Amino acid sequence: MNDTQSGLPVDMTALLATVGAQRDRAAFEVIFLHFAPRVKSYLLRLGASDALADDLAQEAMLTIWRKAELFDPAKASAATWIFTIARNLRIDAIRRERRPEFDPNDPALVPENEAPPDTRMLKSHDDARVRSALTKLSADQAQVVRMSFFAEKPHSAIAKELGLPLGTVKSRLRLAIAHIRTALDGGA
Amino acid sequence: MIPTRHPPEELLLDYAAGTTDEAISLALATHLTLCSICRKDVALAESLGGALLEDEPGAPLSRDALSKVLARLDASDEDAIPVSSKSSSIPEPLRAYIGDDFASIRWTNAGGGTFFKQIFRRKRANVRLIRSTPGEGVGFHTHRADEYTLCLSGGYTDETGCYARGDWQTATPDLLHRPVADAGEDCISLSVNYAPLRFRHWGIALIAKWFGF
Repeated sequence: MNDTQSGLPVDMTALLATVGAQRDRAAFEVIFLHFAPRVKSYLLRLGASDALADDLAQEAMLTIWRKAELFDPAKASAATWIFTIARNLRIDAIRRERRPEFDPNDPALVPENEAPPDTRMLKSHDDARVRSALTKLSADQAQVVRMSFFAEKPHSAIAKELGLPLGTVKSRLRLAIAHIRTALDGGA
Repeated sequence: MIPTRHPPEELLLDYAAGTTDEAISLALATHLTLCSICRKDVALAESLGGALLEDEPGAPLSRDALSKVLARLDASDEDAIPVSSKSSSIPEPLRAYIGDDFASIRWTNAGGGTFFKQIFRRKRANVRLIRSTPGEGVGFHTHRADEYTLCLSGGYTDETGCYARGDWQTATPDLLHRPVADAGEDCISLSVNYAPLRFRHWGIALIAKWFGF
């Protein structure tokens, strides 16, 4: 992440927290320059036209500005949080569907009670570990993970495209998740 | 209490990726309200989405995109953040579809101590609430496609075991089962189907066809 002229890496997660706390426009511009092109290319991969992907990337950036106060750097990295915003905008604008989500403030929410709060909870500093775990997946596993995120296809369609039984696709996904989980648990 | 039966991990990954349809997403989000274990799995899968986003090469935006967005920042400042406060035993994502309590639902009596309420039908997905009085339930059936059931209240038992509030069941087409509500109180479940059930008994099949099961 070498986004500054000095070439020093920028901590996008800390920067996004600053946007939330201080409505810092300069920080927002840096976030924009880093993430807007990435969000656009994610939307293009999922079949949006160039014009639509451009509009939605801008919309995503406005949503980030609006909701930045809700961003909690202890729970997710900037990239993860921005991914969820882009994903939800895509479902809303392209698929024209609602996306039901749990509400962390719902009185009906059953909290986590037995595990100490810091175990297995993803933290933003796990991001580098998630990325490195992703690069260590077998080619087969990485392929089905990528297709799950970038092809908007049910497992049955992924299986058909790869000429594999459905069970194989599902078990590769499960193995991929297990590997990443182990990588995160292991290096605490 | 933490549920003991969970959705398959690859379904949680699809939910995180944004691939699951509204019907399954509703059932999953309702389970997530009740299950901190699966909330962690979804958070893990979302962090994969974040890592993939970070690795994207990036597509250049139109030349005036940044200035257009900056010009709109002030106008977007005033948007209120919604807060939920109402207390209900029905998890929020489901409450938006069916209201605050089960008692005010207008159930359709399917006979044999079983009632249902259609929530919505979209494309092939059929989302319903099913309520059975103790000892009763939907008769022996198999499925033409996967069926997803989330127990919301009371409990039920079938050939695969017992299900209590928050527990998730994925019934594959080959599973022949007869879910029966446990003693004590009515069992209420959320059910997502992609094809009509196949009933063993012709009489039940006829009634089921009539009610659009």
